[in-house]
Amino acid sequence: MLPPAVETRALGKSFGLVPVLLDVDLRVASGRAAVIIGGNGAGKSTLLAILAGVSAPSSGNALIFGQESHRLAADTRRNIAMLSHHSFLYPNLTALENLEFYASLYGVRNPHDAAYEWLTRVGLANFAGERVRRFSRGMEQRLAAARAMIAAPMLLLLDEPFGALDSAGVAIMTDLIRTELARGCAVVASAHAPMKFDGVDLDQYEIRRGRLIPLSDHAEPPRASRLRALLGRQNQ
Amino acid sequence: MTAFVAVLSKDLRLELRSGMSTIAMVALAMLVLVVLVFALNPGVARGPEAAAGALWIALVFAGMLGASRALLAENENACIRALLMSPIDRATLFAAKLAAAAIFMMVALAAGVVLTVLFFNLNFSGALVRLAPILVLGVIGFAALATLLAAISGRARGGELLLPLLIVPLFVPALIAGVRAAGAALSGAPMATARDWIGILIAFDVLFVTAGYLLFEHVIGEE
Repeated sequence: MLPPAVETRALGKSFGLVPVLLDVDLRVASGRAAVIIGGNGAGKSTLLAILAGVSAPSSGNALIFGQESHRLAADTRRNIAMLSHHSFLYPNLTALENLEFYASLYGVRNPHDAAYEWLTRVGLANFAGERVRRFSRGMEQRLAAARAMIAAPMLLLLDEPFGALDSAGVAIMTDLIRTELARGCAVVASAHAPMKFDGVDLDQYEIRRGRLIPLSDHAEPPRASRLRALLGRQNQ
Repeated sequence: MTAFVAVLSKDLRLELRSGMSTIAMVALAMLVLVVLVFALNPGVARGPEAAAGALWIALVFAGMLGASRALLAENENACIRALLMSPIDRATLFAAKLAAAAIFMMVALAAGVVLTVLFFNLNFSGALVRLAPILVLGVIGFAALATLLAAISGRARGGELLLPLLIVPLFVPALIAGVRAAGAALSGAPMATARDWIGILIAFDVLFVTAGYLLFEHVIGEE
């Protein structure tokens, strides 16, 4: 039986004496999506960084396709992609050059053609020759999404993927995520509020005081979401 | 090999676009050489040994400024994190960064050699042909050391300030050997007289290229 894309067991992370994550158990199979919600500083990005293999857990395990996340083999790293607060894009390279570079790095055949295809998919084909330095935040986010998905990963780690996107960008991102899930990719996304994708089952969790709490469909929404809902009704 | 070429060509393209490192290195090399020409006794300043010393000082200062930039430039937009997440082997990443740093330094050094010949009244002769491999050995050793130490210091707060403090003491053996070997080359002495010094340069290069190749994966990265 193939191991799940993501499996954490009693995962903990501290920065110095400050615990950020405590006893986190998470399991995400291929083709499934998990959404991690929480407020600022809750530990969402920390969890994703551990799953990406760039930060080691302080305790417990984080397994990616059965391998320890901070000791991933090159072949496994090839199957993981991350969309982060940082774009991972070189400001002085053009959009096309950035995608060609990452496509080459990940062993994509015909990096040039793949780069053009993905620029078209994210609506940036007309900006292929523009340096990223001149991009708006939303354009950079779209390009970053293309960078993350160009190598057809089997695990996508998305840190607040809809931030800075306009409605067209949100539609593009939603479509991309849906396509990746349909392809069998596992998705772990972080957000400030629960997400909803039509026709897609999402496993939703909240990080509360460092612990990962599953949210059911009928569970009371987190306190922050109730407050936003209340403010929304008052403003009407 | 594809990943090595991709990283190296990306770094070279970025440097060609901005030129920040190379221009700064050439400017600093020029400044060092001009100051030394006027600071040294004219009788001394025209000698090949003085020229060799001045050139190596210029190499070290310019190298400190620019050799680590190939790696430190990855901090913009956290691109280093993307590199670490990618399938590229850490040793291959080290090799690509070392190659980029060495190329930047050699461009600056070429300008430094021209200035040295002019300021110190040397001849564009066979002595420069004998000097070239000595300088290449020095550049490779310095670039390997700078790349490795940049990875270590990059994880520390104030790492860019720490880097020169780490590089200079460790580079002293190669600096002494390089100055003596370059002096012999420029003065026309038989290269056999500089054999031991060239041996030290080669040993330095082997040591730090190997150290970087083996240790880079343990020192590059985040907490």
